[in-house]
Amino acid sequence: MTGIEHATPGIIVLLGLLSAVFCWSFYSVRAGRKFEIRKIPGIDAIEDAIGRSAEQGRAISFSTGLTDISPTLYACLGVLESITKTAAQYKLKLLVPQYSPEVMAVVEDTVRQAYRDVGKGSLFDPSTIKFLSSEQFAFASGYMGLIHREKPGAAFLFGAFAAESLILAEAGQQVGARQVAASVSPEQVAFFICTCEYTLIGEELFGASAYLSRDPVQVATVVAQDRVKLLFCVFILIGVVCATVGSWDSTLSWLNPVSLLFLSWGDVVTW
Amino acid sequence: MDSRTALIRSFTFLGGIYFFFHFIVPESALEVIGIKDAHPGISNGFIVIGAMAIGLGIINLVIGHGSHVVFKRRGWTFSAVLLVSLVSTLGVTTAQWIRNRAVSSELQRIYVIGEFSNRILSDASDVKNPKSFSPAGELPKLEFRVHALTKYVREVLGEVERASIEGHGDGSQESLTLREELHKNQILLAADLDRVETVSWENLSDSNKVLLERVSQHAGGYATAYSVIRRRDAEQGLIPQMYTVLYSGIFENLGAAMFALLGVYIAAAAFRAFRVRSMESTLMMVAALVVMLGQISFGKWIYEDMPALRQWLLEVPNSAVFRAIRFGAAVAGLMLAIRMWFSIESKTSSEGR
Repeated sequence: MTGIEHATPGIIVLLGLLSAVFCWSFYSVRAGRKFEIRKIPGIDAIEDAIGRSAEQGRAISFSTGLTDISPTLYACLGVLESITKTAAQYKLKLLVPQYSPEVMAVVEDTVRQAYRDVGKGSLFDPSTIKFLSSEQFAFASGYMGLIHREKPGAAFLFGAFAAESLILAEAGQQVGARQVAASVSPEQVAFFICTCEYTLIGEELFGASAYLSRDPVQVATVVAQDRVKLLFCVFILIGVVCATVGSWDSTLSWLNPVSLLFLSWGDVVTW
Repeated sequence: MDSRTALIRSFTFLGGIYFFFHFIVPESALEVIGIKDAHPGISNGFIVIGAMAIGLGIINLVIGHGSHVVFKRRGWTFSAVLLVSLVSTLGVTTAQWIRNRAVSSELQRIYVIGEFSNRILSDASDVKNPKSFSPAGELPKLEFRVHALTKYVREVLGEVERASIEGHGDGSQESLTLREELHKNQILLAADLDRVETVSWENLSDSNKVLLERVSQHAGGYATAYSVIRRRDAEQGLIPQMYTVLYSGIFENLGAAMFALLGVYIAAAAFRAFRVRSMESTLMMVAALVVMLGQISFGKWIYEDMPALRQWLLEVPNSAVFRAIRFGAAVAGLMLAIRMWFSIESKTSSEGR
């Protein structure tokens, strides 16, 4: 590779391919083709958790953890929008503790808009979107304090988390909140599985918003990512078969460089 | 589409297209069109825009906790502590920053002496050297540059003397040794300057060369001793001590205490997770047991290949799952990034964000 900051021709071809798949999925959805998203129990549990909080008259909390402005945040915002709308209909207090000031501005706008969308704009209280700290453990301690004071009936942890994940999840566990977590960090998934009622793993976080809203654009994105993954799986399979056969039979050793084309395309095709 | 949405979409697209082209265009081409040199500045510009948001955080804290204190709501004392901590940390950190900045610029003035004399030496040794201080692209006369050097050094030495070095320091043996070192180098440097002023600088003879090298060497020794003294001085006084108390004494320890809670929570979470209630939790418990036993010497005593089994579990099934999660999340993130770049959002979402 010529450098980490610049794409190789192989990467450019791949990017083009991915964009083409996205456009294909997007236009097929716009053309009226229907796609189904499989049932994800963790996402169904969100509504249950909010309903339970409404019955108990308790608040709900939603945290994006250490997520910065990134695609992961936008995936979380889709879920937040849906949760806010439901909470607004039940007139529930929604707490959104914040780690990053930039994210706070975007989150505040999303929550305000969601309240307006369901005709409950007057219920929106900006003071529930609390900036705690941009320091990891100061944020964790602020979150613990908030959860112990407000005792929410449901706590949603969506986004990027690090070592503080267990502290946040345990705080919710201690006050008896029903918790649903979703993280793209595999290291933290184990902690969430141990502590939360439901955990969305990796890309399920990106599918959650589409699943909840059934918005055609979001569904198209999920369809596109599934198609791309399928394409990569085929690449990996061909590469593995070529590499295995190539190293097994010396007369077919020409398959080894062919396998590299499928397994590390970006490194092989360079400027 | 209203004008606000159109503006947001345009900025998103333009920002995206810049970074996209910077990623796909080869480095050599970026150099030709001049983007390579401009890129750090452009990237810093984006960071600066993001940094402005820090004010939002402070405003949110002050309004949220300020109203708690003013109306004496439940737990207002905690809010008061937070606000006092915020103001004191902000004040002390700013004062410390100003102090460090003053020391750094003072030291820079001394460090530059050695660089200046070395530059004169290298330029004078290579008359064809195109590098020059003058805008016309010609080297100033050697005599003129040496005169400027001596003038500058005497000026700096005078300033340092006025800063009354004797007044600083904690009186320890190390401090006294440093001051002796500084004094020694100051005398040597002054002696070098006296000699520099007495010899002719029409051209660079071998003896002149040695003289400039000595100036550079003694200036280096002087700067090193002075910087250690000044940095030690800068660590004393009320502001640095307050900074140490706030940061090392309170903040770091509170962070460590929060981190220490993890130990307790891991045990509590493990207890809940390892209850055998289903096929999945049984599998998880067995895997965790093997990994834990493989980690300790007792495991090898139970079954010889336990460490190898643990290693296999971590390196093969665990790594495969980690990669699958990361791979799926990366592809999903990429697809979402394309959607964000082109602002392909449903009506409600685009207005909301």
